[in-house]
Amino acid sequence: QEEAQAIDQELFTEYKFSVDQLMELAGLSCATAIAKAYPPSSFTTSQPAVLVLCGPGNNGGDGLVCARHLKMFGYDPTVYYPKRPNKPLFEGLTTQCQKMDIPFLPEFPAEAALIDELYGLVVDAIFGFSFKGAVREPFSSILSTLERITVPIASIDIPSGWDVEKGKADGLQPDMLISLTAPKKAAMHFTGRYHFLGGRFVPTALQEKYALNLPPYPGTDCVLQLT
Amino acid sequence: PASSRQAFPLPSLPRKQPTVLVVCGPAQNGAIGLVCARHLRIFDYEPTIFYPKRSPDPLYRDFTTQCEKMDIPFLSYLPTEVQLINDAYNAVVDAVLGAEAGEGREPCAAILATLKHIRIPIISLDVPSGWDVEAGSSGGISPDVLVSLSAPKQCARHFLGRQHFVAGRFLPYDVQKKFELNPPEYPGTECVVALRAPR
Repeated sequence: QEEAQAIDQELFTEYKFSVDQLMELAGLSCATAIAKAYPPSSFTTSQPAVLVLCGPGNNGGDGLVCARHLKMFGYDPTVYYPKRPNKPLFEGLTTQCQKMDIPFLPEFPAEAALIDELYGLVVDAIFGFSFKGAVREPFSSILSTLERITVPIASIDIPSGWDVEKGKADGLQPDMLISLTAPKKAAMHFTGRYHFLGGRFVPTALQEKYALNLPPYPGTDCVLQLT
Repeated sequence: PASSRQAFPLPSLPRKQPTVLVVCGPAQNGAIGLVCARHLRIFDYEPTIFYPKRSPDPLYRDFTTQCEKMDIPFLSYLPTEVQLINDAYNAVVDAVLGAEAGEGREPCAAILATLKHIRIPIISLDVPSGWDVEAGSSGGISPDVLVSLSAPKQCARHFLGRQHFVAGRFLPYDVQKKFELNPPEYPGTECVVALRAPR
């Protein structure tokens, strides 16, 4: 977890990347990976409807970017964003989604069966690699519901609620994980079908410094399928 | 534009090293060139940048830092000896002027004068530099590849090069409709789409 935070810090302070830049590239990777694993034609719902659950931090921001690109790719995303930071970045991302006719649910569909009926996929953009400690409401109820749905879950970077290094045996079991920048230790406990790498912006020098040993991305793709 | 990502075709390059010269002008088109250079580096090309007139805009200065920190060299001058450019690079990315300007002042005019004579392919971003954004150009540079951003500009009708791409897959549907843009359909998750070749 510390290493991931150190890499991020270097990208911001040494390389002068803005959070906006990296978040945009991260969110685009997530949407691209999702489109590869769950193409619109694979949905059993009449429209390729996707529920995107956005948490209170940067992982939520990644989710907003992802939702916007999913819309560009022909999906029907809906966002649930209960705790919104008071910062221009997140307000901007929210406006972009709203202006693209992406609905924001006023409340969370608390019945697992309802989610299963309305959506073909749920994107978990609740907590990321900075997550520590206990899960507070409304997220702990959301995570309980997610543990009961049958439609696939795609988690951004870390399955929400998992310890960033140790995982969580009785927690969320997503079908897909999109690791951003590099897989975190928790990814070793991932047992879903699809593991993608995204966030193709780490300069070679940084990769070497932190011995990331990332496999090469194919061509100009912004995602790499690991499993 | 901050997140505008240019995906370039990957032709087989004639030189052993995949060197590319990226010429960046003083305004937004140049900034897009900086972002492009950084992604080319990630894609394992060897870009070199010529950026004589740097914008004071903090966003664009950060783009410059990102490139520098990724070991992308910045030339201190552009050789007027055209053969030097032809020999050192496989292609030139023209990110000098966009839709915002005409021939431009120095140093753009001098750069364009040199670019008119190179033999390696030129890839122009959005508008071939020096072209009038609507009328095109007589006697200006002749790019091999044009990457139109968001939608082709009027002058693209005069483009005679080999490949024309549209990139910048971020226009919301209602903006497209409002301005009657009719952009082509992007395939799958691609951020670039090739238009039918002009010849």
